[in-house]
Amino acid sequence: MKTFRTIFFKEMLDTVRDRRTLFVMVIFPLLLFPLLLTAVTAVQTSQIRKAEDRVLRIGLALHGNAAGLRTLLASRTGYALVEGINPDSARAFLERDSLDAAIVVSDRFDRTVAEGGKGTVTLSYRFSDEYSIAERRVKEILREFEKGLVEKRFERLGVRPEIVEAVALQEQDITPLKEKLGRTIGGFLPYLFVIFCFMGCMYPAIDLAAGEKERGTIETLLTAPVSRFQILLGKFAVVVLTGLLSAAVSMLGLYVAVSRNPDLPREMLGAMTGILDAGTILLVLSLLLPVAMFFAAFLLSLSFYARSYKEAQSLISPLTIVIILPVAVGMIPGIELTPLTALIPVLNVSLATKEIIAGTITPDLLALVYASLLALAGISLWACSRWVDREETIFRGG
Amino acid sequence: MLDARPMIIVDRLTKRFTLTRQQRREMGPHSGTSIDAVQEIGFTCRPGRIFTLLGPNGAGKTTTLRMIATMLKPTSGSITVAGFDTAKHPEEVRKRVGFLTGNTGLYDRLTPDELIAYYGNLHAMDRAAFQRRREELYSILGIHEFARRRIGRLSSGMKQKVSIARTMIHDPQVVVFDEATAALDVVTSRNIIQLIRQCREQGRTVIFSTHRMGEVSLLSDDLAIIHRGRLVFLGTYPEFQAGMKTQSVEDEFIRLVEAA
Repeated sequence: MKTFRTIFFKEMLDTVRDRRTLFVMVIFPLLLFPLLLTAVTAVQTSQIRKAEDRVLRIGLALHGNAAGLRTLLASRTGYALVEGINPDSARAFLERDSLDAAIVVSDRFDRTVAEGGKGTVTLSYRFSDEYSIAERRVKEILREFEKGLVEKRFERLGVRPEIVEAVALQEQDITPLKEKLGRTIGGFLPYLFVIFCFMGCMYPAIDLAAGEKERGTIETLLTAPVSRFQILLGKFAVVVLTGLLSAAVSMLGLYVAVSRNPDLPREMLGAMTGILDAGTILLVLSLLLPVAMFFAAFLLSLSFYARSYKEAQSLISPLTIVIILPVAVGMIPGIELTPLTALIPVLNVSLATKEIIAGTITPDLLALVYASLLALAGISLWACSRWVDREETIFRGG
Repeated sequence: MLDARPMIIVDRLTKRFTLTRQQRREMGPHSGTSIDAVQEIGFTCRPGRIFTLLGPNGAGKTTTLRMIATMLKPTSGSITVAGFDTAKHPEEVRKRVGFLTGNTGLYDRLTPDELIAYYGNLHAMDRAAFQRRREELYSILGIHEFARRRIGRLSSGMKQKVSIARTMIHDPQVVVFDEATAALDVVTSRNIIQLIRQCREQGRTVIFSTHRMGEVSLLSDDLAIIHRGRLVFLGTYPEFQAGMKTQSVEDEFIRLVEAA
């Protein structure tokens, strides 16, 4: 135990003094989400505000009809009316960006409406804002105009407008917001945890194995009176810890980003902070522990095999993509946590995280997930120790 | 001194490496699937004497020394260090061996203090013995002034001193120098040569490999010349000199290697 402690603390000290590892392990996951969320919401808010404040140039071809529509548009701010446009030129105006929208009312509109028919209004537009705010603004005016016409019809007929509604549907969605968010965000969160866990493991694993070989320190370490398994275990523990730390820091970053963001709706904020409570975080981290152990064993095996830091990097970097795949499968609708999927490593983490966040995980499935992950972690550590014990691995090319 | 019991006994030692596909391609169609880096060699090293392993690059020197230091396991034959078989009791052997290579092999992000403490702990030294030994080595090597600076910021000479302290911290009975001067400048090489002599004076068993002829004549008590994994000469240095059929050590080395 003393030897393990000695190796562990030395490797930890060596790791935290490596600026590159420290950046990938702590700084990057901690700052990514606050910066990303702040930047994204700032841009979004500004875009939405811009679209809402923008004066829309509306071309009108009313043909002496729909006076109410004109009055409605003229009474609202944010609309510049270009009246009497030629309907045939509307498209050209829109393409040239001289107009944002064109409303063409048929020349029989008023008569058709008066006869109880449907008067035709053609709305042409070319809105470029991604949130369809301009489109919504114009359509709201048109709906209001229609509502006024319909109300007049009911008035003429002497009936209440409610007469067309025979059923008063009262919806009661009792799904807690946490569960709803759990099903959506819960699929996305494992992405972050697993990727950051992998990245947190990656650089220390490369440095503590391939780096050790490249520096030539492995030779002197192997002449110390400790077994290779003890050496591996010390390094393994550091890599596991950095992986977990990185995942935990990414969660902290996300929590800070969400809780400090004034632009998020209060209801969503409450649910999000509810999701990220201490119990949930601990449960998710406990799932990540065996995953980090698997990553650590696997990455150390590859890293010990590599002749140099560079070779280890080129062997390991593409795996970042491979790791995403099972997590991504977990996001496909219909893929649920079952006794079968609970046995598939990494995918089970993704599915179980969803269930944990939604608060719908069952103890038997959770136990199955743990059993599968712990078995994988144990097997990979055993395989790694066998692998590192091989002279061909340690002294490959040397 | 020759009467002292051998500290290292190497008996019919062979090390076979399996060739990778790439190595087989590079070595040609008749290379086979494995190569014997060391073949049936045997020698003994005694306390208070310097045993030199001389040979060209790729002769099997490093492989032999790595087997003595328990980094590699013999394919056949045996090595005994201080009475312990390297294959059966590697950790007992490691307690008694210090290993120094030309590549300083230090952790750049640690300070000399931290590095020496690390190796002291790995050798399970008790605190008092460790502090005494560290103080002794720091004074001899002049490490005090840079003991708390990161190793990565030290000069190569300073690093070599730290490397020596690391090798000697547990007061090893056997010191293995694997081409320890190969990549060093003249001044630092001289420090290593001094260290090798000090080790002999202190009664340690010294085994060092080199391909520098000058060092052979400066240091050797016993000499083994290894070529393609086989010993082509084994004896004391005076015996080697007495049997020389050429004018210089270098010429004699080439003659023996070519004859093999």
